[in-house]
Amino acid sequence: MSTESSQFSPFGSNVNPFGPREGANGGSANIMHRVIEEEETADAVASPTNPTFRTGPSPSAFRSPFGSSLQGDAPFGTPPTVRSPPNPDHYPADYNFNRRTSVSAESLKPSTDSNDANWTSPYHEKTPEQLARLRKAVEGNFLFSHLEEEQSTQILGALYEKPIPAKGIKVICQGDAGDYFYIVENGSFDVYVNRSGTLRPGPDGMGQNVGTIQAGGSFGELALMYNHPRAATVVSAEPGCTLWALDRNTFRRILMESTFARRRMYESFLEEVPILQSLTPYERSKVADALETRKYSAGDVIIKEGDPGDAFFLLVSGEADAYKSGIEGSVKHYGKGDFFGELALLNDAPRAASVVAANDVKVASLGKKAFQRLLGPVEGLLRRTRYAGVETGVEDMDPLQSAA
Amino acid sequence: MVAAVSHVKTPSLSSNHDKPAQPPASQPGLFSRMKSRIHNGRGHHNAGHGPIAGRKLSSHDFRIVRTLGTGTFARVCLVKPVNPCEEEKKEVYALKILRKTDVIKLKQVDHVRHERKILADVSGHPFITNLLCSFSDHDSLYMLLDYVPGGELFSYLRKMRRFDESTSKFYAAEIVLVLEYLHEQQGRVAYRDLKPENLLLDRNGHIKLVDFGFAKRLTNGEGNPIETYTLCGTPEYLAPEVIQNKGHTTAVDWWALGILLYEFLTGYPPFWHQNPLEIYKQIVEKPITFPAEPHISDNAKDLIRSFCTVDRSNRLGNISGGGQKVKEHPFFRGIRWDDLLCQRVRGPIVPPVRSASDTTCFEHYPEEAGKREPYTDDLAQKYDPCFADF
Repeated sequence: MSTESSQFSPFGSNVNPFGPREGANGGSANIMHRVIEEEETADAVASPTNPTFRTGPSPSAFRSPFGSSLQGDAPFGTPPTVRSPPNPDHYPADYNFNRRTSVSAESLKPSTDSNDANWTSPYHEKTPEQLARLRKAVEGNFLFSHLEEEQSTQILGALYEKPIPAKGIKVICQGDAGDYFYIVENGSFDVYVNRSGTLRPGPDGMGQNVGTIQAGGSFGELALMYNHPRAATVVSAEPGCTLWALDRNTFRRILMESTFARRRMYESFLEEVPILQSLTPYERSKVADALETRKYSAGDVIIKEGDPGDAFFLLVSGEADAYKSGIEGSVKHYGKGDFFGELALLNDAPRAASVVAANDVKVASLGKKAFQRLLGPVEGLLRRTRYAGVETGVEDMDPLQSAA
Repeated sequence: MVAAVSHVKTPSLSSNHDKPAQPPASQPGLFSRMKSRIHNGRGHHNAGHGPIAGRKLSSHDFRIVRTLGTGTFARVCLVKPVNPCEEEKKEVYALKILRKTDVIKLKQVDHVRHERKILADVSGHPFITNLLCSFSDHDSLYMLLDYVPGGELFSYLRKMRRFDESTSKFYAAEIVLVLEYLHEQQGRVAYRDLKPENLLLDRNGHIKLVDFGFAKRLTNGEGNPIETYTLCGTPEYLAPEVIQNKGHTTAVDWWALGILLYEFLTGYPPFWHQNPLEIYKQIVEKPITFPAEPHISDNAKDLIRSFCTVDRSNRLGNISGGGQKVKEHPFFRGIRWDDLLCQRVRGPIVPPVRSASDTTCFEHYPEEAGKREPYTDDLAQKYDPCFADF
């Protein structure tokens, strides 16, 4: 697939971006002359695309083999492979200028599209205290922080307990394939990095101790994205430790299935909106793509009468009511799959009614500006079918439409 | 591989020994067999499959000259026809060789199938590598491609450290044309691995997009748009929605073009770190910042920020107007798009290529290491149906 660089190449892995300066704009037959000169003096340096490379970062730039979850205060690793700049010329000194390897996770298809339609996410019982600790352990992690509540719950449910009974058990080995992410429930684990890039046999084979992970810490996140050789060896530092484990496939699958199901739900809701019925499937999918989820509690005002209309809403769960000033009681009731405020996409009239959440409500909403950016001028789109002619007569039914 | 190929004579071509100047019409030479494949392939989904002129091509029809590039499970080699007839004597090709065992082990079976199919569909665009045909044998899959002698844009970029704005504009503009073609004219093909390493320069300095290993057609059976979920690409170039597994579309290519343009202009990508997780964190959380030096024009900054917008309802290329809106951005002012597409404009870097088979613009790679896991009968039974298109 993508190329890895070689050890003896005239450019690429041995390239020296800080070498004698060429004109920035080449007409440039002389590039190659320069290259050939350099070929003879080029050092053999490690390739960044080589799995062994990952442990050779500059101490300043590299704090932890696992990112944020390990507070690595121990500087480690070999010097950067790129020669230091004689004249920095505003180049980042520790950027690695070598060829980059592509990465890929296993191919994933939503279960409705594939053969195993019965896939359900694994669930392992946990106490409320355990759950609270797990939530805290992943709260600052960018792979978890943007998740929807339901996704979070499913993922925490899927973590399974892995007892590590004795001291000195290697949970992950540097250089091995990485498929699991771990959270420490109790006990502590030492992290070792061998500068060669892989765990070696012998007493010092694990390399240097670069840190310790305590209860509440975690390691191995990259394995949740794709398989990459482990950057360190992690060993239990005491007997009777416990870990929570999650594999990449389960993690990605949970996220995919829930996202996929939500997308299809949005698309089917959107098909019911009369003013959007002239959209092509492609346009509808773009709208579905851009919908944002918002939550309201009972009594929250979702739309306020008299406000300028700037967004449209699909009711995803819960119920809501429309109220008009001067009229006692609800003038319209909304349930799952109903929509309101869509006329804001069409005109600038103020909201003709208020919509208030009747219980816990989840909506998917799209701003007028985003709608127009995605689909272009409203006039062209929404008037493909004359709105007034739409059979359901939204204008009569929708209290949000102003009387004028 | 090299030895195996160079020692085998193919019956169909042996007649050329006797009459080298005139390949018999009943047994057309390699060259004409391939040309007919290209022709058949245009606009058809079965490009390059089924026997042409009585026999499918095989690895025995080619001799490996040298390796042009290697990957985790593929190798691209410069090859020449074995026993060429007169019209083939100067012909060279790039042969991409994928080892079935590695493809399976790395779980890339689907990607390889997409690559073969999409490349057959999109071949013919001036800025995309041209697939001539594909074939397979017991251990490997092969894709025969036009050889592009100018080498990787990556090599020129690293050598020159950065490109000036007019050079960057030229390459970015050619890529805009490619993306517009893939996304809008080819039915929503997402490329998903844009980076300087995957752009070659042809003899005249125009780009050729290569390696369609992650390309995917994002429509379902009914032709309706779908999103896709498999994380793939190159760490520095991944779009936020890919990292966060939100389901992604062709919009990821526009994000990557923003990263690419940044790297052209500064010499390095906007998000980088020794630890890949830190790169992903930055991509998701950090806005793009520009260095004080080199000076980057406001138009270029605006274009980069417009592409590298986390909110896809606000990302240039993905929003209303698509590729056309990208072309209208002030950064591209002065580009004559039709002239560019017809290659009537000279490239800013003309590779120092002396002949069509010159390989000096490519780096050297060690030739085949030898050690390979065997493709067992069990594997063959299970997976060969997946590779039937080759």
